[in-house]
Order: sequence, then C-alpha cells, then structure tokens
Amino acid sequence: MKNRMLGVIDATTYHEDLEELTVHRSLAAVPFAGRYRLIDFVLSNMVNSDIESVAIFPKYQYRSLMDHLGSGKNWDLNRKRDGLFFFPSPLLDSPSKGIGSFNHFGANLDYFYRSKQEYALISNCFTVFNMDFRPVLERHINTGCDITVVRQDGRSLEMYLVKTSLLINLIETRNETGYTCMSDVVTDIHHSYTICNYEYTGLAVMIDSIDAYFAASISLLEPQAWKTIFKRSQPVYTKVKDEPPTRYIKGASAHNSMIANGCMIEGVVENSIISRGVKIGRGSVVKNCIIMQKSQIGENCVLDSVILDKDVKVESGTKIEGTHNMPLVIRKGTIQGALMNS
Amino acid sequence: MGKKKCVAMLLAGGKGSRLSSLTKSLAKPAVPFGGKYRIIDFTLSNCTNSGIDTVGVLTQYQPLVLNSYIGIGSAWDLDRKNGGVTVLPPYSESSEVKWYTGTASAIYQNLNYLKQYDPEYVLILSGDHIYKMNYELMLEYHVEKGADATISVIEVPWPEASRFGIMNTSEDMRVAEFDEKPAFPKNNLASMGIYIFNWPVLKEYLEMDDRNPESSHDFGKDIIPLMLDENKKLFAYPFNGYWKDVGTVKSLWEANMDLLDDECELNLFDHDWRIYSVNPNHPPQYISPEAEVAESLINEGCTIEGEVEKSVLFQGVLVGKGSVIRESVIMPDAIIGENVYIEKAIVPSGMKIPDGFVISSSEETDEIILITQEMIQGICS
Repeated sequence: MKNRMLGVIDATTYHEDLEELTVHRSLAAVPFAGRYRLIDFVLSNMVNSDIESVAIFPKYQYRSLMDHLGSGKNWDLNRKRDGLFFFPSPLLDSPSKGIGSFNHFGANLDYFYRSKQEYALISNCFTVFNMDFRPVLERHINTGCDITVVRQDGRSLEMYLVKTSLLINLIETRNETGYTCMSDVVTDIHHSYTICNYEYTGLAVMIDSIDAYFAASISLLEPQAWKTIFKRSQPVYTKVKDEPPTRYIKGASAHNSMIANGCMIEGVVENSIISRGVKIGRGSVVKNCIIMQKSQIGENCVLDSVILDKDVKVESGTKIEGTHNMPLVIRKGTIQGALMNS
Repeated sequence: MGKKKCVAMLLAGGKGSRLSSLTKSLAKPAVPFGGKYRIIDFTLSNCTNSGIDTVGVLTQYQPLVLNSYIGIGSAWDLDRKNGGVTVLPPYSESSEVKWYTGTASAIYQNLNYLKQYDPEYVLILSGDHIYKMNYELMLEYHVEKGADATISVIEVPWPEASRFGIMNTSEDMRVAEFDEKPAFPKNNLASMGIYIFNWPVLKEYLEMDDRNPESSHDFGKDIIPLMLDENKKLFAYPFNGYWKDVGTVKSLWEANMDLLDDECELNLFDHDWRIYSVNPNHPPQYISPEAEVAESLINEGCTIEGEVEKSVLFQGVLVGKGSVIRESVIMPDAIIGENVYIEKAIVPSGMKIPDGFVISSSEETDEIILITQEMIQGICS
C-alpha cells in the first residue's frame, strides 16, 4: 500500500473570522499548540500514512508558510523522487467556494500527469487531527467508490479521496461541467459518480474562527485530547528550532499548561499554551492564554483570556483581560504598555 | 577536495570510565547533558559558530550511538559538499589492525584525511568538555604570535592544579615547560586539550613520534614535550569563561546544576552562540494541574504530574503523581512512577523507576547517586 496516494493540500483558504491572526500569514501557517503551525497536522498525517508526494497550493501571504516548510526535510519530504511541491496561485482574484480549486489545480496539471500515484487525497489545511489515511484508501478501493468524503458526525471534513485519473478528468472538463471544486461534485446529483462517506471518529477540529482556535487550543490541556493528537507512533512533525530547554527561575510556577522550549518563566502560568522563546517576567500572572513565539511579558503583568501573537512586547505592570467567550487578540509585533490600558 | 585554511580534528573515542554505568554502552562525548544536548554538541557547535566547516571526528570506544547521532552533521550545519563532518574510526591495513593507542596516534593514522584538504592549520579538540569558545580568535592569536603550536589554557584554582597538565609560561605567554599533573605546580594555567598546529609542523612531529617505540603517542605526554625540547615556538592562549571536564558523575551533576544558576557564565539562551543538537520531535512539555515546577530546566516531551525542584529533565521524561524530584538530572525518556522521591541523583536514559521508590544521598557523604538497574531491583525484591 506504500506510496499509492498523492497528498494535495489546499492552503488558499481565508476565514474572515480569523483575520486577526491571518494579517501576516496564511491560515495554514497560523501557530498552534506552542510549536506547530496548522498545516503540520494534515502534512504529518499524510507522511505517517505513507504518502511520499505532497503538493501544496497556497495563495495569501505564503512567505511564512514557505519559510516553515523549507525543503520539506522536517517531514522527510526532501526526496530525489517525489517529495514536497509548492504551487502558488497564479490567479490572485479567483475566490473559490470550496477546498481544491480546479482552476488552481488546472494551472499545474503537469504535476498530476507526471505523478505515478494512482489516488489523490485532497485536504484542507486548517484541521487539527491525527488521522491515518490508509484505512480510507483501503475502504475506497474495496467499495469501488469514485469519490470518498471524510466526514465527522455527518459533517464534511473537506477531505476527499479520488483516483488521480478522475481528478485530472474533473479538472480538464471544469468549463463544461461547471464544477469549480470537489464539493461542487460531491453535492451535485446530476452525475454518475459513486460518492461514499468515511466516518472519522477520532478528534478533529476545523479552525475557522478565533473562538474555535481558542477553544481547540485550550482543550489540548485535557490529557485525553492531548494524547489523541500527540501520539508517539504517529508524531506531528514541524520545523525544529535550536532552542534550549525551558527554564523556570526561582519564584516561577506552572499549572495545567503546555510549554514549548526556549522559554524563561519567572512568573505564574495557568491553563495556558506558551510557544517557543517566550519570556514571562517576575510577578506576572498568565491565565487562560495563548502566547505565541518570542513574545515578551514584563514584570507584574496580569493576562487573562488573551491570545498574544508573535513578538508582542507587554510592558511591566500591564493588565490585559479578555473573557473566556471572547478572548482578546493582540496583533503580532505590537507593544502593549501599562498606560494604554489604564 | 578543496584546500581549507583550518581543519578540526575532534577526539571522541574516550571511554570516560569514571562516569561508570553511564558510559557502559556509549562514548563519553555522547553522554546526555543540559536537558537536551550531548557533550559533543558543545565542541561541534563551537566549530560551526567559529566558521570551521571541516571536522574529522575520531571515534573508537562504543561508537554506535555517537555515529548515528552525528550522522552527516546536518544538526550543526556541517553537512557540506566540500568538508563537513567525517567520522574517522580506526581501520585495518594490509598487515595489521591499528587501534588508536593515544591521542597523537589517532591523528597520525588519519594524516591522509588531513592531506586531502592541505590545510594551513590543524585544530585538535576533545569532545569531552562543556564550554563555549571562538576558535577563530585562538587562530588569530596563533598567527599573530607566529607560533608553531598554540595550546589553550585556563586558570584553575591552585589546590586543583596538580590534577591537570600545567603550562609554565614566560611573560609573553610562550610555553617554557609542560608539567603533566605536577605534585608541586609552579603555575595554575591548565591545558584544556585544545591545540592549534601549523600543519607541516604537526605532520613532522607525528611522523617522528610514530617512529619512537618508547612513545605513548599522546599530545600532552609526548608531542608537546618533544617540541619544547627542540625549541619550537609554543604559546599558551588564555581562555576566560566557563569550561568544565565532566569526567565524573559528580562533575556531570554539578555542570548540569550550573545551568540553574543565574550567575553561571554558560548561557544556553544566547542566540549569537547557539548550541546546536539533534532535535528529536516532541510536543511541548505538559505541566498538570497538580504539578509543581521550580528552578528547573525542562525539555520538550516531558509530562510532569509531580513536584520538580532544582532539576534538569531531558526530553520525554514522565514524572508521576505524588513524586518529588529534587536536585537531580533525569535523562531522556526515563519514566518516574508515582510517589517516588529522588534527591541528588542522576537517572540514566530510559530507566523506569517503580512507584514508591525512594533514594537520596546521605548528608555525610554528599555523594551524587547514579541510579542503576541493580538498585531498583534490590529495593523491589
């Protein structure tokens, strides 16, 4: 069963509800769980499912995404044959209704023609899950379906398995059929393709709003959820950084938190997710927060229900509070002063 | 192979027998250190940070872990088309197998490796020490002094001087005399086992030393004294900064504890002089609601449900509920059960500590305990 599927990741999605976190980056590159980006989950799942050729179709702001993926080495995708492919959209203004724009694929048809893999798995880039795709393929073959849709509780997870030859056909005939993407085909009844559903019972969260982002992040603090996403046998790969282990200084304390490497913790951390290289100063209390990479929190600050994007500097004595239902998002690279909030 | 200005030769074949069971199946340079590193990371990172891109690593004792760790050197950015890391094990010739009998013989048997780069200078390093040093500055000093060889030295406390190779120098730092572990030291400048040689001089002396049946083929004992006898220009290069030979269980423990000290000069958080290592892929550490963590260094992949104080925890360590870890070093993937008490100890990689296990060093001896499988079985049976 090895190397029978192509991985196709649509990284063009833009959710308006996530604007605060996607001003500087594409949705696929939104940081998650302290050291990952959203794309790491689907990409690692593909690699762990013996997929050896992955095509990524990005659009908005893909600099940080390219920087993150590099040659694909961290996913073992820097291969002589197959490996990681990057196909930025040549058409900037072509809004697509669903995952896997046939227009976008059509501009890069050669990739599908040249690939020898018989099947293609098309997926979105913003689902947090740890799933083995091999059983989907097995079922797809055994049942003789044309298209298999991965669903959870009946809802489409916007992942589709299809024969590469059929995908090519759908792309080439898009002008005649009027189908713009996979969901167009799946929801239409005027064709003769057999559409099957694959019910996925594991944990899968689609990140399509700040609320979903915040809730999914905090839910990882439940050991059960944590263990479902981070399995030793099916690791989630990411770009590794040479950060030292995290250091807890005298007076520091941490409870119910996930903390990445390279942090200096001098204050109190509770129910929070702290990314790499964060500093939390003496006397500060960080509760129910998501703190992204390299943010610096001064001394005697209070942060509750806040998402701090990367490189935010919080000056000493600052108090920032959101609510559990409405977390405050602080934009990347800003400086938060004590005076601004008083 | 293109010509190189300076090639480093890293001696990594040491057994480190005073580290006891820690080096039973791996060489001393591969011993874990500082929550995420292996000892050799410091020397390899120094090389790459000093702009040295060609490093021969000489292995002999238990090389499996070390070899697979070094790989093609990509962790240290030393996977290069021209140069990079080359692991150099002992090999057999048509007549016999030649083990490395001393530090000098290890280099002598790899003269062909050096010849292919035709370097101007050769830097000899040891993979046994924890320190951050810019070898480029040492090379500049060596060139400035017009030396044949330069030996890096560090001031050690006088009472300890007789444990080291001591350099007796004139005012301009020229080495007049070398005393190996002198009973009555005349100086407190200890050799750090770091040498820069002009390549032609090194080659000449290694060949001379090889012909001498009396020689123990050691840089400190044979090559340096011979060069001094022949009035070669040897200079001492004074190094100020953190440097530690982690040769014993106690010193390994101490060096780990140094990382928890704010005053310590060894800063792992310095982005301008990063210590690189092979990064295993682990999720962030998880600190549970009932856990307590204070004054510690904790790596990714740990799950802490107990109390950790003044300790260094490597990747993948689990600390169970109700357990207390104090002033200890817990090596990768060790699993600490529930209601365990460990104080002033080192727990080796992958060890499983059963529930209720209690161990701490006695007040009188203040010895550091290296936990072994026998201790665990002894207590549980």
